[in-house]
Amino acid sequence: MLSALLGWFACLPAAAGEVESSGFGAVVIPQPVKPTNASACVEPVDIMRRDHMKFLLHQRDATVLEGERDSKYSLVGCMDCHNATEPAETVVRYPDPQHFCAGCHLYASVKIDCFECHADRSLKQLQQGRLDQPLEDQFPEDQPGSALLSLHTFHQQLGDTGGE
Amino acid sequence: MANELDNIELRPARRRFMQSSAALAMTLIAPGVLLYKTGQAQSENEPGSDNKGLPATPRWGLLIDTNALSEADVDACVAACQQEHGWHSDAGSQTAAQWIRKVHLTDEQSGQQTVLPMMCQHCADPPCVDVCPTGASFKRADGIVLVNKHTCIGCRYCMMACPYKARSFIHEVLRDQLAVAPRGKGTVESCTLCVHRIDRDGANAVPACAEAVNRGGRKAILFGDLNDPDSEISQRAKSHGATRLRADLGVDPGVRYQGL
Amino acid sequence: MPAATRFTEIKTSTPQYWGLLLLLAILAAAGIGAAHHMDVEGHHISGMNNQVVWGLPHVFAIFLIVAASGALNLASMASVFGKVEYKPLARFSAVLSIALLVGGLAVLLLDLGRPDRLIVAITHYNFRSIFAWNIILYSGFIVIVLAYLWLMMERRFERWSRPAGMFAFAWRLILTSGTGSIFGFLVAREAYDSALLAPMFIVMSFSFGLAVFILLLLASFKLDQRELDGIHLQRLRKLLGLFSIGILYFVILFHMTKLYGSQNHDFERFILLDGGVYTRLFWLFQIILGTLLPLFLLYAPRWQHSSKSLVLACLLIIQGGFAQLYVIIIGGQAFPLNIFPGYHVESSFFDGVISAYSPSLWELLLGFAGLASALLIALLVLRVLPILPQNLPGAED
Repeated sequence: MLSALLGWFACLPAAAGEVESSGFGAVVIPQPVKPTNASACVEPVDIMRRDHMKFLLHQRDATVLEGERDSKYSLVGCMDCHNATEPAETVVRYPDPQHFCAGCHLYASVKIDCFECHADRSLKQLQQGRLDQPLEDQFPEDQPGSALLSLHTFHQQLGDTGGE
Repeated sequence: MANELDNIELRPARRRFMQSSAALAMTLIAPGVLLYKTGQAQSENEPGSDNKGLPATPRWGLLIDTNALSEADVDACVAACQQEHGWHSDAGSQTAAQWIRKVHLTDEQSGQQTVLPMMCQHCADPPCVDVCPTGASFKRADGIVLVNKHTCIGCRYCMMACPYKARSFIHEVLRDQLAVAPRGKGTVESCTLCVHRIDRDGANAVPACAEAVNRGGRKAILFGDLNDPDSEISQRAKSHGATRLRADLGVDPGVRYQGL
Repeated sequence: MPAATRFTEIKTSTPQYWGLLLLLAILAAAGIGAAHHMDVEGHHISGMNNQVVWGLPHVFAIFLIVAASGALNLASMASVFGKVEYKPLARFSAVLSIALLVGGLAVLLLDLGRPDRLIVAITHYNFRSIFAWNIILYSGFIVIVLAYLWLMMERRFERWSRPAGMFAFAWRLILTSGTGSIFGFLVAREAYDSALLAPMFIVMSFSFGLAVFILLLLASFKLDQRELDGIHLQRLRKLLGLFSIGILYFVILFHMTKLYGSQNHDFERFILLDGGVYTRLFWLFQIILGTLLPLFLLYAPRWQHSSKSLVLACLLIIQGGFAQLYVIIIGGQAFPLNIFPGYHVESSFFDGVISAYSPSLWELLLGFAGLASALLIALLVLRVLPILPQNLPGAED
């Protein structure tokens, strides 16, 4: 039963995670790429895994209502580390499973709408204004906005990468 | 049963006890309630009120000298805001957002022409804050009126209520937002007085529109603390006058104009 | 004392009945699909823009909500004002009231820019906002009328239906005043900013609610292949006429007040003279077809006993209501804000000009979905619960 369920996720990209074999095909657990410009996240990994949403929800109120912008929990800070690929390479936008947040959120099927409003790239990438791969080229024209990625789109996109 | 009831009636001592303890309780609690209410009322009505020794909260505002602004200047204001926050507006578009706009005025009697930039007026008593059902439209302690887009449900009632047509609704999916200005489909937005700059620089902040036109020591758009009588903005308003748009509505805008 | 009324469900299974249900279901689904499309694409596909922010869906929604409030009138007349001859119709009145409100509320909520944030809307309240109050009033209304309906149907608690009816009546007066005050409290716009809007909406609710009630009552009886007697219709006819006159009174008063003193002359000229579609809607569809012609149909002696004239009058009143709300809601926004009195204004944000608005198909579908779902809910409830009276006292007359 469980393996049937896991088999449903067999189309996750190999590039973003490691492959474990099971009865119904390869299962890919997301392994987000660790940023190179910092040695550790603002909180230990196990705490972040569980509570990052709590930090974000609390911080967003502090920023909007009280103007606190220099906290370690700021979303801009997250993107500065976690989506800070060098400008020479392809910039990764939110719905791409290689995006730090999208990798796990697509796997866990927990929809987030942060990037309907917030920038999903580091400050450096924004300032450089580089968009090597415009969003429109990554997805077919008739697909809706970035945060509304459906499983269908997901599979369609992965058809190109040849995921199992 | 009836006898017991009669007994209760005939026990005045118990009644006196209840009355005196109630009176005592009221005497103890009432002053506290009164002080609390007064404190609340004061802070609600006068955001800049002096709290007996503690520094008064600033109230940020703008003083716009229309005589010092040419049409090119006002265009520069609009362009600077667009560049700072990542919005743009196609000419003639009914649905495009406009945080700040150039307004041409012609006096109906005299024919005199004026050009000025128009943005959210950051009222002290904002109608948009009154009408927002979720409280997403709110006024910060320092007087800046903002939309908390995490709570905005996109009902557009604030747009109906604003006397200055300051607000815009985002009618399409957005993809290239800047980090300082998160904005997205289905929510309402307006001029933030460059709150991200204010949070960083306080009284020394310069909003993008002001930065675009203030040059050579001449400040056509002056940003400052309206609550501080010694600030440049207060001094200039005192010496040269300042007009509030639609002053009759009593909303007390923080953006004031000279030359109107 | 009239014989105890027996209530029954709709029992027919004719192709017309099922066909109607299917049509309503399709309309409702189409509207929900349209709302979803608007949500995914953004409101740029609708006709609404930064100048006219509330459009056709809001006209439908407010009509349904106002009619919902008024549809409860029949039950109130029985429970609150002691007119026992309307008691058999009280259950139907309550059911229709709930159905219309649900339909109207659905349209309102589906048009939000962020309908996924409904939870936020019901957990974060700004109590200075009349809109927030309305959310509480609308949902409370549904609960209260459900309770009222149950008390009416549960014979043991029959006697509690009177206080429940009074409570429901008071609640709906506040609700309808609140709906009118959504506009009445807006000081910025010349079309609104008036205490008259709240009572005007109350009289509108009486009129539209009764018109919808009569139409659906006749339709339900017809679907069930039964006849509704003439006595009830006679009385309702007179009431309907009275309410129409009431609306006319408020409309005249509203415009006369705005016309007095030159401050609002531009706005009044816009609505009454040169506003194009709004002027047409006001004079032709609201006043002539929506008020004067129905009055004639309702009171003219030669049509006193014609149910056809009553049906036509109800339809005309309903379209008049839509026209009135269109003029109020959309006409009020089309007229520009007067930010710089005494100046001629021009800008890229359409200051100083009459704003253009043309409704899109998506908005029309959404609006009709509200209407269709209200009717669908009502018909389904009528099938399942004993709501329609089997025998009406006084039918022998």
